[in-house]
Amino acid sequence: MKLEIVCAGIGGRGVLLASTILIEAAIASGHNAIASDEYGMSQRGGSVVSLVKVGDFKSPLIGRERAHIILAFEESEFYRNIAMLKREGIALVNTQRKTLPDAIYSLAQERALACYLVDADRIAKEKGMIQAANMALLGFFAFLSIEPYTRENVERTIKKRVSEKLLEKNLEIFQAGYMGAKEVLS
Amino acid sequence: MKVLAEVMMGNYAIARGLVEAGIQVAAAYPGTPSSEILPGIIEFKRREKCAIHTEWSVNERCAMEVAYGAAIAGKKAACMMKQVGLNVAFPALLRGMHKTIKGALVVVSCDDPGPQSSQTEQDTRLLATLFYIPVFDPASPEEAADIAYCALKYSFEHKTPVILRSTHRVSHARQAVPLYPPGTRKVTLHEGINHQSPLANRQSRIMALGIVASGMTYSIAMDVLQDIGISDIVPIYKVVQFSPITGHQSPVTLRGSSTPGLQAFLDSVDNVLVLEETDAVIEALIDRGKKALGRRNGYVPKEGELTYDVVKGVIERAMEKAGIEKKSFVPDSRIEEAMKTVAVKPRPPKLCAGCSHRSSFYAMRYAFPDAIFPGDIGCYTLGTLQGAVDTCIDMGSGVTLASGFYNTFHQDGKVPPILASVGDSTFFHACLPPLYDAVTTNKKFILVIMDNGTTAMTGMQPTPQTGITADGTHTRSITIENVLKGFGIGFVKVIDPYDIPLMIQTIKEAYDYLTTHQSPVTSHRSPITNHHSPAVIIARRECLLNARGRVKKMVEDLPIERDCIGCKGCIKFFGCPAITFDEERRKVVVDDGICVMCGMCLIVCNMMRQKKGSSKF
Ligand code: SF4
Ligand code: SF4
Repeated sequence: MKLEIVCAGIGGRGVLLASTILIEAAIASGHNAIASDEYGMSQRGGSVVSLVKVGDFKSPLIGRERAHIILAFEESEFYRNIAMLKREGIALVNTQRKTLPDAIYSLAQERALACYLVDADRIAKEKGMIQAANMALLGFFAFLSIEPYTRENVERTIKKRVSEKLLEKNLEIFQAGYMGAKEVLS
Repeated sequence: MKVLAEVMMGNYAIARGLVEAGIQVAAAYPGTPSSEILPGIIEFKRREKCAIHTEWSVNERCAMEVAYGAAIAGKKAACMMKQVGLNVAFPALLRGMHKTIKGALVVVSCDDPGPQSSQTEQDTRLLATLFYIPVFDPASPEEAADIAYCALKYSFEHKTPVILRSTHRVSHARQAVPLYPPGTRKVTLHEGINHQSPLANRQSRIMALGIVASGMTYSIAMDVLQDIGISDIVPIYKVVQFSPITGHQSPVTLRGSSTPGLQAFLDSVDNVLVLEETDAVIEALIDRGKKALGRRNGYVPKEGELTYDVVKGVIERAMEKAGIEKKSFVPDSRIEEAMKTVAVKPRPPKLCAGCSHRSSFYAMRYAFPDAIFPGDIGCYTLGTLQGAVDTCIDMGSGVTLASGFYNTFHQDGKVPPILASVGDSTFFHACLPPLYDAVTTNKKFILVIMDNGTTAMTGMQPTPQTGITADGTHTRSITIENVLKGFGIGFVKVIDPYDIPLMIQTIKEAYDYLTTHQSPVTSHRSPITNHHSPAVIIARRECLLNARGRVKKMVEDLPIERDCIGCKGCIKFFGCPAITFDEERRKVVVDDGICVMCGMCLIVCNMMRQKKGSSKF
């Protein structure tokens, strides 16, 4: 199995935590995995990209049109990184939009992309913690059950990686994201 | 025995290897991408209960010489820095070649291809090979742990300093790294022909193309060969270690090149592509003329990072040269077409939302729009965006260049305002020597020390002022104002940069002070009363990220969206990343997710609306 994932977003909004959870959940389920983080000089508000490769890879870098999945924690960062997504790739985008802009919509059709628009900010805000919107997106992602990820192993890793103080809220938001996906997709 | 493994970044892996190898002294100065190694050593020394002296030295030269001193005295020592830090530390390293050490000395120097957060892309391996210093080049975090372990042993056995060169892609990659009890790591360095490579079992055949690579570039090349499906026809030779060979014509060589391995490999291919970051080191050492495809003949770009796509492009061109038929990758241009229609928010590197440096720069630019602004190395290099940093060369150059500019203009008879900026960590690192000169020769410039109480850009390491050491214990604090007092500088003001109007006023006072030769220290016993230049302002407010959890809201309510008249002044001259401009509504929008309610934008906005802002620029 080989899986290449791009986590994209802005600093201070939990992109690196999300990718940490993805790499650790993959390793815990017996796979090789390697990740690479890149962030600019400032830590709040700048573009952040973290790459996770699961399977028999040597390097953590992902080339153009090679990623299976993009988790975009912010809408603009989705567009910025869309060229990394391969044909038939999957994108999860944190946005208030109900539909993609026309040109992106046709592109997605032409390249057979599956794009899920998730209002993760709203889900997190409703639970009183907008900073944890990353968990809502992860919850949605977990519902898709893409090997090796399951609701159980992602949740278990969250429990290991999120500090006790914030854990309860994070899990609550994760579950809300999961249920959100369940509503739309089943 | 089941070996435990833990997911960690390359820098922690290096730390792990050094601790397992029995390091006793570790000193470092932070610099991206090397900064996490010392904290890693501290973490593992705690876990393994080892006695290791660890310190953040005030600069790289101090770190190197602390480690060097320990190595002369018989200890196993290491020092850590970024590649440009090695320039600062070089004198001792050159002496180190002469077998003066009794213990071990590993110098970890992390390169920054790109560069992503440095002034240059210099290649540590080039310096090392130039001066016959053995250097190791790991290709992954896992290998970095093994190599750190071997490097310390190698240094101890050969009584020579060795360099472990990492790059940001290795230092900041994360991977599961096996943990061994100290002294028991099982290491086999994978050097030479990869076991998956075709040559291993088909020795007699000449191949059209082979690759020699090292470091992260090797790892990327391996993935590319797999991904495009040619790993069975293009063999790859991996270089890990560059070592001096006594009595050999070329003083430094690649391990294996004197043995049949590398030579045989090179002889068994018609074309050899050399992939390495960031300079042409292997390429020069193997010296295969036209047969070698690399930087010298333009196959590999001379600058910039070798990313996956770059490596793929290079390999495809080499295949073409070697006559290997394969359909090359054609990017789908529809992606770019579609991208043109959507507004992607530009997100150039910026100071954090609520960062007090932004207010300082705003005030500096406001007070003297036409000043010369020598800047320095730190987050605050980003003051360029606000037009308040003109130059940035190396650590301390805020003060040295200000000095040079002053002398130049003074000689020519007309001195414009000169407003230099340096950070607190940089102040201690490199600004004291040039300040002695500035004081003794009375150079009239304003120095703004942006004191946020930490070394912020590299991840919040303490400075001599914080009164905290590397492992968190308390120590004496040396305050900047006390140091300045020792210099006899007459104008020293400490202010909160969030008070933008006061900051502007203070900068103007400083200028008046310099130009009228008035010293407030009238009782000063110095016979030359006007010799109190330069003027120094300490803009002090704790870094927001460092104060995480303790940051207080400065305003309860932020009516900026409501009051916005659409002049874009705050975007242009202030540039808080929490604020974007909505072209449709002709108003600013604040992102609640990153705004920290510092209220600075309100001050700026107010000045703009009263036409006191942009009209000044
Ligand atoms: S300075 Fe004030 S009025 Fe001008 S764009 Fe910014 S918020 Fe709007
Ligand atoms: S209050 Fe204004 S300047 Fe401060 S962080 Fe928020 S938007 Fe930025």
